[in-house]
Amino acid sequence: MPTINVYKWRLLNELKINESTLEDLLFNLKSEMKPIDQDHIEIEINNDRPDLLFVYGIIRSIKGLLKEELGEAKYPVKRSEYLFEVREVKSRPYALAAIIEGIKLDEELLKELIQFQEKLHITIGRKRKKVAIGIHDLKKIDIKKIVYTTVNLNYKFVPLNSTKEMTVKEILENTEEGKEYGNISLFNGKMPAIMQDDGQILSLPPVINSEKTRVDTSTTDLFLDVTGTSLDSVISTLDILVTNLAEMGGKIAEVKVISTYTDKSPILRRNKIDVSVEYINKVLGTQLQKENIIEYLKMARFDVNDFGNKLEVIIPPYRVDILGAIDLAEEVAMTIGYSNLSPATYKIETLGSLSDKSKITRVIRDLSIGASFTEIFTFVLTNDSLLNEEYAKIINPITVDYNAVRNSLIPTMLQFLSKNQHSRMPIRVFEVGEVVVKSEDSETGYRNKLNVIYAIMDSKVSFEDLQSPVHHILTSLGINIKYKKEKNFYLIEGRTAGIYSKDEMIGIIGEVKPEILEKTKIKYPVIISEIYLDEIKKLL
Amino acid sequence: MLSENEVKILEYLKKVREDTAENISKQLNIPLDTVFSVSQLLKEKGYISIEEKKIIKYELTEEGKERLQKGLPEEILIDILDGKEAKIQDIRNKLGKDFEIAIGWGKRKGLIKIEKDTLIPLVKHYEAKEEKEALLNPENASNEILQELLYRKLLIKREEKIFQLKLIKGEVEIRPIITFLTPELLASGEWRKYILREYNVEAYPPFYPIGRKHFFREFLERLKDVMRELGFKEYYSDYIEIEFYNFDLLFQAQDHPAREIHDSFSISGEGKLLDEKLVEKIKEMHENGWKYKWDKKIATRLVLRSQTTATTARILASKPTPPLRAFTIGKVFRPDSIDATHLIEFHQLDGLVVEDSFTFRDLLGTLKEIFNRIGIKELKFKPAYFPFTEPSVEVYGKIEGLGWVEMCGAGLLRPEILKAVEVNSSAGAWGIGIDRLAMLLFGLKDIRLLYSNDVEYLRSKKVDINAYD
Repeated sequence: MPTINVYKWRLLNELKINESTLEDLLFNLKSEMKPIDQDHIEIEINNDRPDLLFVYGIIRSIKGLLKEELGEAKYPVKRSEYLFEVREVKSRPYALAAIIEGIKLDEELLKELIQFQEKLHITIGRKRKKVAIGIHDLKKIDIKKIVYTTVNLNYKFVPLNSTKEMTVKEILENTEEGKEYGNISLFNGKMPAIMQDDGQILSLPPVINSEKTRVDTSTTDLFLDVTGTSLDSVISTLDILVTNLAEMGGKIAEVKVISTYTDKSPILRRNKIDVSVEYINKVLGTQLQKENIIEYLKMARFDVNDFGNKLEVIIPPYRVDILGAIDLAEEVAMTIGYSNLSPATYKIETLGSLSDKSKITRVIRDLSIGASFTEIFTFVLTNDSLLNEEYAKIINPITVDYNAVRNSLIPTMLQFLSKNQHSRMPIRVFEVGEVVVKSEDSETGYRNKLNVIYAIMDSKVSFEDLQSPVHHILTSLGINIKYKKEKNFYLIEGRTAGIYSKDEMIGIIGEVKPEILEKTKIKYPVIISEIYLDEIKKLL
Repeated sequence: MLSENEVKILEYLKKVREDTAENISKQLNIPLDTVFSVSQLLKEKGYISIEEKKIIKYELTEEGKERLQKGLPEEILIDILDGKEAKIQDIRNKLGKDFEIAIGWGKRKGLIKIEKDTLIPLVKHYEAKEEKEALLNPENASNEILQELLYRKLLIKREEKIFQLKLIKGEVEIRPIITFLTPELLASGEWRKYILREYNVEAYPPFYPIGRKHFFREFLERLKDVMRELGFKEYYSDYIEIEFYNFDLLFQAQDHPAREIHDSFSISGEGKLLDEKLVEKIKEMHENGWKYKWDKKIATRLVLRSQTTATTARILASKPTPPLRAFTIGKVFRPDSIDATHLIEFHQLDGLVVEDSFTFRDLLGTLKEIFNRIGIKELKFKPAYFPFTEPSVEVYGKIEGLGWVEMCGAGLLRPEILKAVEVNSSAGAWGIGIDRLAMLLFGLKDIRLLYSNDVEYLRSKKVDINAYD
C-alpha cells in the first residue's frame, strides 16, 4: 500500500484535532499513521483511495467525519483563455489539461505536491504506463495555445534540473528518468510531447518536464497536463488533482480542448448511483432510518437527492473507487464506524465435513505415530538439482534454493536428513505432504498429489526395518500388498521394491543410493518409502 | 543378590562351616585377592563372619637348613672324638670355622671338658634330637628349645595374619543369577532355580525415538476441526493455478500492481480456460468495472497461487447453490525475502459463506466466532480494500505482549463477481494468514521454526496440553 509523508501540524491545525483523534479517524478511512519525526507523520493510504494521497484530500474527508462540512465539496470552475490541442499520439493517445490559480506553496507543501504527483504515478498511473502528470508554473508559459503531439529524437529542450539543452535522445539515454520511463511511450522513433504552439517543449510525457516551467515556492498558478493510455484514468487523475488543489484554496480554470473525446478540461465527472434504504440495511444487517443514511452519506462527502423510495447519490469527481451501490453501503458502514456495528451472533446451521484428503491424512498420521515415526514438515518449494522427471519450474525464483516445486517427497526428505547428521540415531521420520506433477487433463497441465514418506537413518539399517512398519500401516487400511522389484532414480537396484495393490503401484520402498547420499552429504545409510495416498484413497 | 564367586564360597562354607581364606583360595581355585574381596561382601551382607588372627611362624634359616642336613657342630665334634681324647689343635683343624660353636655348645651341654690342650669327651655318642625335631616342626617345640634355636639363628620368627571365614547365617538358600527371563525358563519352571539380576533402576535410560506429531501440522488440523464444528465443508484445489482463478475471477485488474511478476511465482507453460461462458462474463466484468481491454492470454498464465482465495474462486466458478459454508486450508506462495517473520510459502484459511440474507454484520459475527475459537478473544475491525469484496474489513486481534496484530482480510463478495458466476444471493469471504498467527500463538521468535529441519528441535519441543484449546 502506498504511504505519504505529511507535515503533521498543517493537518492538526486545519482540522483542530489532536493526534490520537487523527489516528482514530484515519483508521476509519482504511489508513494508518506512524510518526516520522516531531513535525512529520507517515500515513498509509489504501489503493482504492488515490484522492487521499494529498493532505487536502485527507482534510476534506475528515471534515465530513467531524460533521464540519457535509455533502460534496464544490469548487467553482472559471473559464480561461488557454487552448489545448490533442494531436495523434499513437503510443499514448489521451491527454487533458487544467489550470489552477491562486495557490500558496511553502517548502513543505511543494514537497507534498511532488509526492502526490509521484504517488499517483505509481498507483492509478501504473508507474506512468497508464497515466503520467506534468505540473508547470503557468506564468512561465508564454503562449495560450498548448499542443500535445510527438517529436523526433533529435528535438531539443532543457529538461528539468538541467542547465543545458539536450536532444530527446540524450534525455532518454542519459537522465535517470529517461532510462526508467523512456521506453514506455517511445514509438516509431517518436516521443509524445507537450509544447507551446511555438514549439517550446513543456514536458516529454511520461518521462520529464522542462526546466522552463519549473514549479517553486513562488509559483501561484499551475498548468497541469495528464497523458495516458486510458481516457478513463486520464480523466480521473486530472479530476483528483484539480479537486485536491482546489481544496487547498486554488481556483480551477477550464481549458478549451481540441480532441476527439472532449472540448473542455477538466471534465469533473459526476456519476449518479441510486440506492435504497432497504438495500443498505440488507447488506449491512442494520435497521437504519432513511435520515440516518442520508446523514452518513453526507458525512462521507456525497450529495444525496431524496426521491422517496430511492436515494440518488452524486459521486464526486475524485471518488474513483465508487463503482456501484455496494460501495455506498461500505461508505455508510465506515462512517458509522465498524466498531459500532455489532457482530451478529453466529448460528451453526449445517453439519460441517472434512475433505477426503484431510481424512486420509489424519489416519495415516495416526498410524505413522503408532509405528514410532516422528512427523516432519518441509517446504513444497525446493532446489531442482535433486528432482527427477518432470516438474514445475519457477520462472522468477527468489533464490536457487527454491526454484522448483517438488514432484516427490524424497528430495525434501533427503535434505531434511542431511541437516541431521549429528542428531541422535536412529532417525525415524515421516511426512504427509503434497507434491506437484504433470497432468494432461487439468487446466494448468499440473496437479497436486498427496503422498506420505517414511525414512530411517542409522549407522546400520536394513530394508526390513522400514518394510515392516510400512507394510503393517498399509495392511491396517485393509490393503493387500505385493512387492515387485523396481528401479528408481534415488534407490539402489536390487534393494528397491514397488509396492503394489492388485496391479496398481501405490508406493515404493528401498535403500538410497550411495551416490545420492554423497550428493546430499548424508553419512549414514537411509531406507525410504514413499506412498501415493491418492492411489490409496481409491482403494478404500 | 549374590555373584558367582559369592555363591561358590558360601556353598563351600556350608560344608565346612569355617576355614581360612588361604585354604578356601586353594580349595576353590579362586585367587586369594578375590577371596578377600568377595568375603568382605559376604560379611557385609551378613552371611559370614571374618576373624582376623595373628599367628607366629618359624622358618628355617639357611644355616638351620644346613645343620639339619649335616648335623649340628657339637654332634659332629662328638662323632670325631669317637670317645677318645684329642689335641685341641687337631680338632680345630678338622672342624674349621664350626670349632668354636662345637666347643661352646659341647661344654654347655656337658658333652666335653678341656684340660690344657686336650679335649676329653664325656659321652661316646650324642644326637641333638630335640633341636632337630624343633627345626622340623617348630610349632610343636618347647619354648626353651625355640629360644635356643632362635639364639643360634637356625630359626627365625615371623608374625602372620590369617583370616578365618565362618558361616553365620543358619540356612542360606543359594541360587545362581541370570539377567533375562526366557520363555524356556518360564515353561520349564526352571526360573525358580535362579535369581534375576538387579538392575540399576535409578540410572537414566538410553535415547528412544518416540513417534510424535508435528506441532504445526497438528495446529492446522485443529483449525480444520474448528471450521467443521462451525458447519463448514472443506474444499481444496491445486498449488499451480491459472491467473484466472488467482486474480481475474476475483476482480483483480490485469494491470493492477499486485499482479506484477514480482508479486507471485510464475510457472512456465500456459493453461486452458474451458468455461467459455464464464470467461465472457469475467471479461465483461473487468471491462465495465475497470475500463480496460481484458486479455484472456494473461488469464491463462500459470502461477503458484498467491492466495487460497483461488480455491474460493473455483468454488464460486462451480456456481454453488446457497446455503453454502465452505473453507479451505492450504499453502500459498509469494516472492519475499526469507527472514524471521517472512516465508515464501505459508498457509491461509479461506472461508466462503453463500446465503440469501448474509449481511456484513453476519460476516463480522462469523469472524468473531472463528477467532474466539482459535483463542483470540479481543478483536478490532478496520475498513479495508480488496478488489473482490465490498464492504471490506481487516481483522486485528490482540496478542498478549504484542498488541494489535493484523490477522485477516474479509468482506462481502462484490455483486459484479456474484453476477458473473451466476450466484443469486449474498456471500461473504475471508482469508486468514495462518503461519504468523501460529508463530504468535506458539510464542516463536522465528517463523522458520514452524518448518524446522532440526529433528532434535521436534523431539524436544514441549507438548503443551493447552496448545490446541
